Amino acid sequence: MKKRGTLVGKILPKLLYAIVAIALWQALIMIFKVKEFVVPAPLAVFKSLFSGEKVAENTWWVHISTTLSEIAASYLFTAVVGFLLAILICWSKFLRAVLMPIIAVLNSLPKIALAPLFLIWLGYGFAANVTIAIIVAFFPIVLNTTVGLDSVDEDLLDLVRYLNASKLQVFLKIRIPNSLPFVFSGLKVSATMTVVGVIVGEFVASSQGLGFLIKDSQAMMNTPPMFASLFIISGLGLGLFAFIGLLERLLMPWNSRKEGGQA
Amino acid sequence: MKKTASLLSRLKTPLVILVLLVIWELCVRIFKVKEYILPSPIVALKHLFLAQPDANYNWLLHIRITLMEIALSFAVTSVMGIAIAIGIAWSSAIKKIVMPAFVFLNSLPVVAIAPLLVLWYGYGLKTNILIAFLVSFFPIVINTTVGLSEIDEDLLDLVKYLHGTKTQIFMKLRIPNSLPYIFTGLKISSTMCVVGAIVGEFIASDRGLGYIIINSQYTMDSPPIFAGLMLVSLFGVMLFGLVAAAEKLCMPWHFRAKGSD
Repeated sequence: MKKRGTLVGKILPKLLYAIVAIALWQALIMIFKVKEFVVPAPLAVFKSLFSGEKVAENTWWVHISTTLSEIAASYLFTAVVGFLLAILICWSKFLRAVLMPIIAVLNSLPKIALAPLFLIWLGYGFAANVTIAIIVAFFPIVLNTTVGLDSVDEDLLDLVRYLNASKLQVFLKIRIPNSLPFVFSGLKVSATMTVVGVIVGEFVASSQGLGFLIKDSQAMMNTPPMFASLFIISGLGLGLFAFIGLLERLLMPWNSRKEGGQA
Repeated sequence: MKKTASLLSRLKTPLVILVLLVIWELCVRIFKVKEYILPSPIVALKHLFLAQPDANYNWLLHIRITLMEIALSFAVTSVMGIAIAIGIAWSSAIKKIVMPAFVFLNSLPVVAIAPLLVLWYGYGLKTNILIAFLVSFFPIVINTTVGLSEIDEDLLDLVKYLHGTKTQIFMKLRIPNSLPYIFTGLKISSTMCVVGAIVGEFIASDRGLGYIIINSQYTMDSPPIFAGLMLVSLFGVMLFGLVAAAEKLCMPWHFRAKGSD
């Protein structure tokens, strides 16, 4: 009962903010007669979204589902493979010695600049965009998870060793649970980066998707679909973020309880 | 003995890069990879330094443009970001209103508005600086604000008890305390400035390394792409190194404490 009250109490003010902001935006556009190619009115943005007309040669649904599936595919790969690779790195000293310096170097490079290269290798579309997003978002997860797996209380490790625990047991019972907060902060960083990677990929190498739509509308000076896409992209990013937050609360209830106690 | 170990650890990154380059060169030669798919690093560097028959870019001009965009946007981002963070931390009312908005904006893919900025401001240097600025701005503000706010309460009480003014608290307590956070923010933003400048050049430019990369992609001319990538990466690493060096100069105590551990 109390939980639902706080949930409504949390969402309602935000919703009100959004409504007031949109109303203000519409009023400002009407009062100052801002031209549509500079900033479109929110009504024009809604109209472009819901009129059912094709934009950039495809329906909105095609663009949205393209971007959404690219984000989903690349994020799933990034999260799962990044996590597993981190475990391998932590498991084997040899792999750590070989891979960690390479990962550290690659992580510091502006990987998004690689986008045109994947276009040459993989051609226009889905595969290239997913690869770009993976390259951009992959390393934060690996690095964060590795740090999480490493930063274990030494005394605890000694104790478990003393009890003849196997390496597998140490990983399953101590290292992996301990790494979860780090994994989730890595997942959050990567969530935004995945969206950025997909969108820039679509800027550079695509004929559909929201990023392509933004760029196409820019060439046509057609701002309403541009703004609509920006809002949808932000929505997708925030949705992914919220999903991770939910997962975090489900997987580590002890952590969120502590947070709740502090707040 | 200890000295050689620290020297080795300092040279680790360049060594790794060198080894990767050698492996890359060998792979291209052994497997006879076609040049448009993956040029060897030597071929890519040749494009940079020697005149080429087909595509001749005025590398110096493009390098200068990109460097200027990175430098200017990073300067504006760091100065404005820190100044605004001080403003935010000064007044708790402003902080309550502005911080949630900044945290929210920081979680959005800011790069996506690049085409909109191009529409508003047209092609060129100014637009790219603006894009790089917007992309790199929020991490600095958020980090600095957190650093300015997270102060030992007891210390704060002590200074208040001694009638320290708000300015004194900022100058002597909050700002020194925030330095590690500021430098973390600067490091994140330094990489993001480079990303912003390059993406800006992808979308809207007729000059700069990003322009070379995207233009060579149209013609499937890989060596200039790789030469451009190498330079962009170099600039990114250099800016990062510069920030790290400034960090060591500004807060030597931080590293001394670490060294004694």
